[in-house]
Amino acid sequence: MTNSTSTVYIHVIEDVISKVREEFVNNGGPGESVLSELQGLWEMKMMQAGVICGPIERSSVSKPTPGGPTSTTPVHDLNVPYEGTEEYETPTADMLFPPTPLQTPIQTPLPGTVDNSLYNIPTGPNDYPAVHDSGGTTEMKAGRPSPYMQPPSPWMNQRPPLSVDVNVAYVEGRDEVDRGTSHQPLTQDFFTMSSGKRKREDFASKYHTGGYIPQQDGAGDATSEILQVEINQGDNSLRRNDIVTTAKREMSAQVVRSSMKIPQLDGPIPDPYDDVLSTPNIYNYQGVVNEDYNIVNTPAPSDLQAATPAVGTQNDVGDDDDDEPPLNENDDDDLDDVDQGEELNTQHLVLAQFDKVTRTKSRWKCTLKDGIMHINNKDILFNKATGEFEF
Amino acid sequence: MATFELYRRSTIGMCLTETLDEMVQSGTLSPELAIQVLVQFDKSMTEALETQVKSKVSIKGHLHTYRFCDNVWTFILQDAIFKNEENQENVGRVKIVACDSKLLTQ
Repeated sequence: MTNSTSTVYIHVIEDVISKVREEFVNNGGPGESVLSELQGLWEMKMMQAGVICGPIERSSVSKPTPGGPTSTTPVHDLNVPYEGTEEYETPTADMLFPPTPLQTPIQTPLPGTVDNSLYNIPTGPNDYPAVHDSGGTTEMKAGRPSPYMQPPSPWMNQRPPLSVDVNVAYVEGRDEVDRGTSHQPLTQDFFTMSSGKRKREDFASKYHTGGYIPQQDGAGDATSEILQVEINQGDNSLRRNDIVTTAKREMSAQVVRSSMKIPQLDGPIPDPYDDVLSTPNIYNYQGVVNEDYNIVNTPAPSDLQAATPAVGTQNDVGDDDDDEPPLNENDDDDLDDVDQGEELNTQHLVLAQFDKVTRTKSRWKCTLKDGIMHINNKDILFNKATGEFEF
Repeated sequence: MATFELYRRSTIGMCLTETLDEMVQSGTLSPELAIQVLVQFDKSMTEALETQVKSKVSIKGHLHTYRFCDNVWTFILQDAIFKNEENQENVGRVKIVACDSKLLTQ
């Protein structure tokens, strides 16, 4: 990245934003706030890609200090999980490969003054990294490891700290599209929290003291009698349990009777938890009781896993159809490549216009102009380029 | 003014596309408007490259693959060397995609 590249990019962003403003503000457009959201997200992604030097001058105004108030961003935070439901399913190929380019009917560059007003609108996402960290830790420390909470999608995480709690509450709607990569840590944390080798008594006390843990296992449906019956069944059908575990089950049954809220009565939670992820055979040696438990609990891990949406989406698509899926899967793969693997980093690419390309035997010469190069993680622009290649 | 969609594959273009993508998916933005933004980006990027960039680059390398299709040249170079005024970059494998500049002036 060179400063000049950054300068040109920033210029382009501002140019685009100012020239589409007319469309956003008039004719029933979504309005100025959406335009500044667009700009904020765009610039944030550019900074994350490392191709513009942040902070941009305007971001001194718009960049909230950690913990500082941000007025605009929470709005679309809340909207994302809910409004995205339907579009989520449809591929956005039309975005990436737009059908026929529409010519912008009206171009009204609004120089100077409008730009200034734009600068005053906070574009919260600019301070992504700090936010992400604090958000993650506070969430964990809050001691509310609800498996129903899907870890926020990356760009949900990119919100200022104040909005984190709000996000957590609403992320429950698990519709939003994630890029997946960034919440691996969160997911891991959930697993480790719940996968420690605890006895169920620990869990019981934990649930009581915590008091905030939501019903993860549907135990609320079961009356103590049912639980007891299940436990007995479990004892009968135990294949690999020894006396100790049986005793534990009875103990847990007593605990359950004493307070019906106790969700975990059926043996070591952590093990099935891990096993569910790896081996489907868990039911064989966990017995009926555990089976019941697992059935109820599987949503938790699967939800967490859903945090890597690419996988889930592909699976869904693959299961549903016979003919179409290959196409869709390919689309997904392409998107994945763009998002993760190649992501502007690993692939060296030159985009340009050619004036002339000639060949003499195996020697090729070409003159290019107006190019964007992405080489060795740097974006380099050129006005003219000459190439000499040997075939 | 004709434009290329070529530059949408650049970093800045991909960032914009992703942004628009998210906003359309969240319902914040209509697809039509998103496309208008992309078209405007095509124009603004082309214009900026013409008017604001002055640097020159020389490229050398082994031409692994060439292709000319639909007025677009594609070269894949191996062991390429990029030189500009400031520095030099060596790349093991690079793809060059170039549209016909004359198409813009027509």
